[in-house]
Amino acid sequence: MNQKPTTCSALGDGMTRRSFLLHSGAATVTIMLSGIPGMAKAAQIPAWVQTYERVRLVRLSDIKRHTPIYFEYPDLSSSCFLVQMDGEAGSGVGPGKDIVAFHNNCTHMGGPLHGTYRQEYGAVGPCPFHLTSFDIRRHGMVIAGHATESLPQVVLEVESDWVYATAMMGLIYGRVANISEEGHE
Amino acid sequence: MNNTDLRPALLKTPLPPTGADIFTTACDYCIVGCAYKVYRWPVGSEGGEKAAQNAIGVDFPRNPGEGSWVSPNQHNIVSFNGSPHNVVIIPDANTTDVNLGGDHSIRGGSLAQKCYNPDNPTKDRLKTPLMRINGELVPVSWDQALDTVAAVSRHVIDTYGEHSWAMKMFSYQFFENTYALTKLALRHIETPAFAYHDNPSTAEDTPGFRDTGFDNFAASFEDWGMADTLMISGTDPFETKTVIWNQWIMPGIRRGMKVIFVLPRKTTGVAWAEKSGGLHLWLIPGTDTVLQMAISRYIVEQGWEDRPWIDQYTSNKWESDSGFGQGTRNTPWQWRTTWGDFQTNGFEDYKKWLFAVEEAELSNAARITGVPEEAIIRAAELMAKPNMDGSRPKTSIGIEKGNYWSNNYLNTASIAALALICGTGNRPGQMISRFGGHQRGGISGGRYPIEKSPEKFAGRRRKPLDLDRWIESGNVRFAWAVGTTWLGSMTASQDFMKTFVRLTTESPHQIRSVETATADLIARSDAGGMVVVDQDIYLRDPIGSKYADIVLPAATWGEDNFSRANGERRIRLYSKFYDAPGESKPDWWIAAEVGKRLGFDGFQWKDSNDVFEEAARFTRGSRKDYMPLVWLAKQTGKKGHDLLREYGTTGIQGPIRYENGALVGTKRLHDSTLKLDTPQGPTIHSKIMTAFNSQTGKANFMKSPWSHFSDFYEFMKPRDGELWVTNGRIGEIWQSGFDDMLRRPQIMQRWPANFLEIHPDDAAERGIESGDWVVAESERIPVQKGGFIAETTSDASFSGLLKNGHIELTSARVEAVAIVTPAVRKGVSFMFFLHSKDPANSLVARVPDPITSNYRYKLGIGKVSKLGESEYKHSFTQMSFAPRTIV
Repeated sequence: MNQKPTTCSALGDGMTRRSFLLHSGAATVTIMLSGIPGMAKAAQIPAWVQTYERVRLVRLSDIKRHTPIYFEYPDLSSSCFLVQMDGEAGSGVGPGKDIVAFHNNCTHMGGPLHGTYRQEYGAVGPCPFHLTSFDIRRHGMVIAGHATESLPQVVLEVESDWVYATAMMGLIYGRVANISEEGHE
Repeated sequence: MNNTDLRPALLKTPLPPTGADIFTTACDYCIVGCAYKVYRWPVGSEGGEKAAQNAIGVDFPRNPGEGSWVSPNQHNIVSFNGSPHNVVIIPDANTTDVNLGGDHSIRGGSLAQKCYNPDNPTKDRLKTPLMRINGELVPVSWDQALDTVAAVSRHVIDTYGEHSWAMKMFSYQFFENTYALTKLALRHIETPAFAYHDNPSTAEDTPGFRDTGFDNFAASFEDWGMADTLMISGTDPFETKTVIWNQWIMPGIRRGMKVIFVLPRKTTGVAWAEKSGGLHLWLIPGTDTVLQMAISRYIVEQGWEDRPWIDQYTSNKWESDSGFGQGTRNTPWQWRTTWGDFQTNGFEDYKKWLFAVEEAELSNAARITGVPEEAIIRAAELMAKPNMDGSRPKTSIGIEKGNYWSNNYLNTASIAALALICGTGNRPGQMISRFGGHQRGGISGGRYPIEKSPEKFAGRRRKPLDLDRWIESGNVRFAWAVGTTWLGSMTASQDFMKTFVRLTTESPHQIRSVETATADLIARSDAGGMVVVDQDIYLRDPIGSKYADIVLPAATWGEDNFSRANGERRIRLYSKFYDAPGESKPDWWIAAEVGKRLGFDGFQWKDSNDVFEEAARFTRGSRKDYMPLVWLAKQTGKKGHDLLREYGTTGIQGPIRYENGALVGTKRLHDSTLKLDTPQGPTIHSKIMTAFNSQTGKANFMKSPWSHFSDFYEFMKPRDGELWVTNGRIGEIWQSGFDDMLRRPQIMQRWPANFLEIHPDDAAERGIESGDWVVAESERIPVQKGGFIAETTSDASFSGLLKNGHIELTSARVEAVAIVTPAVRKGVSFMFFLHSKDPANSLVARVPDPITSNYRYKLGIGKVSKLGESEYKHSFTQMSFAPRTIV
């Protein structure tokens, strides 16, 4: 896929995640990440999300808890992983809201995070380059280390037993835009 | 927290087009001082992804490890000559030193976010002088503010003496500013009521190093990766000297270097070093001296000391006979010799003393420090046990505040002796130094007037004045803070805030109008109150927001041309590249304007380069000696700053020498391998370049009798369910958090509140889970009152102060969010040290080490209990409770 995202202005704080997910086509929007499920006073934090063509990833029934599944998104030179964790996670999908997906390159200097999923901490890391670790229960927040950005999260949705990737939250290491407007892979 | 301050970075970063202006600079934050490049161009255009289409000159996307990626937090929009410009600030991937290959920390990597932009969380930068009129801070003109500062200063100095005019300032924020401010306060006003940001008086950080003859920053960064064994005490460089860790220590460990960490807490670096064959000496806070003496003693008992080196490079009986080998008149503080408890007659004398020290015996040391005997022995083996072929391990030692801020003199003296036993101190890969905190940006424009200090021992043995206690005692009528939170950074903070309230806001004399400001403030000072001026880049709470009568807005990094040295003495130009916000002015300009108004000469500088050039001669012979650079610039018709700019991000390591037409840097100090010819031009070959910093050039073994600390330590030890509440830094937050914890969305989400790490057993006893609000409180925080004159050693000791009624017990309570983790020892909890709302220093005694006048910052105590669940406990967006030990 090599779809050129159109950039539109933020749709405002009122937009719910649900309405965002129903938004079709490629766009850059802000969504509000609800801080704490079910708590009215929870801090809502805005996040930029870039939507692309919806890509079918895996059947829910084929996911084994704590066993990462690797896939490419939003283009073929971009490695991501999907994993089912223990307990609910930020933007998690599935019946337990415990399935999340993230990009595989550390946002410090691009180190490969393949194989560093740590089920006991809900984390990935340490990066083999300089030991940065990320909390994937909390949208890829840096736990300790040097990255100036959270680990980019793949926004997922579920429809009739299939998990789909629909968008990226955060900029992939090394890139100027998640999908180049200049058209390279 | 305001959600609008949490706006995330965009998903696309603009690249600088070819033709963008390019500036070199170095990071504003930690001691490492990484190399950065700033790309600036007018808003409205962008470069392309091909190397030929952008000013960085590389193809995008970047591959892993290549550097030069522009992350969203590395872009900002600033004002230049009044019009909006993009800036991209990224590590200089082509630099030849420090952060090779584009490496960076989480702090420096986000430097672009520190630049003032009225549309982001930096919008509240101070832009005009403010005056607190009828309780409200209102904008006033520079003339109104400066005239008032000068007039009140003149009245206070003339009426009550220079002792009642105080300055508390940063020691690090660029050569030009520190020189100008100290020229005013020390050379012209000559006040003894003067202290830097990290200390209640102008005390040395590591007096044990000083007496031994070690410079604090002798090592070059490469030394940290060249040893066989590296002992790191009181810091994890992964957290706060990140690129030293990434570029030297990690590769060293991969090559086989063993790292011994001495800390009461595990963090990423500690865990990774342990996993890689290193050692963690997981000690009880405050027991370093005993541990260090025990390792030394074990080494000497085995006969593993480096005897040929000791014979060649340390003082013998005759060389150390008077004044620590300094000569009596040159000893830094004469009363340290007078006490007679520290000096030795050389190694044999030290050995005899050490073997008689009960605390240094292995089983006693294990009991006191909590470190198992086997671990102490293992440390001794790694540091000094000769190899099978008779060769010795190369050992280096790096220390930082966890070491010297828990037991200042004894810790630094005993670890220095351990270094000498290992043959450490003057060879590549065999060095001992501080790792450092802030960069080294201090040049003193005047000497501290020690003869005016009212703090003294019997006879003529004066020591620098404890400014905090001087204020507490009501002796200061005018106090000027520059770039420091002061109260939160010093100890027993909450009690100290009460003192400020009493002397400022509770005074009936408040400014009623701009016209009456001078008279109102003079009336305050005449009534025994204190006038407070706060000079900073933001309005800090509480010193600026609540107590200051006048607030002066400072311009900072990127807003003027400045210079500074990093932790390996590397001097570079920090370029100006955008407009300072509003009417804010660099600190040197503010000092000069006050100096002129007070009638002093020598403040007619036109720009920061004038200050840089004038300050050069005050560096002569020091580790930051850049006189040859300014001299060569003049020979070639250049400005000093411009010649330094030509050295780019590489800069040049001080002391700078002039040799055969070129400037030459000095890689390390005390370097026994450095051969120097006759000095040329203005070059000074100071003794510290090739020998130790002592009269003879040889190092001195100093004793460290535990009895000089044990009375205080026994008093502070947790009792009745208390825990140690020690404190320190983490990588994500730079000092008081003004740029990051308070203004950088990703860090505000990571750390929306202060935290308290607590061991699972201690947490279970108190019903505490990760994410709960907890309170740490104490009603027995000792604060020293008075006691400026001591007749005898015991008068100055903690027991003596207690007996003579100079210790008052105060109370404090700080809140934090609990993180339950086995990374801290049982009985020990850990907080971030300088949270503006909940400063952990509140729980620390305000009783300086009587030997050296440093606070024992790391020895906080308190009862910890649960308040309830925090809003972060189940949050997916704020705070993480995952451990910092994932390796």
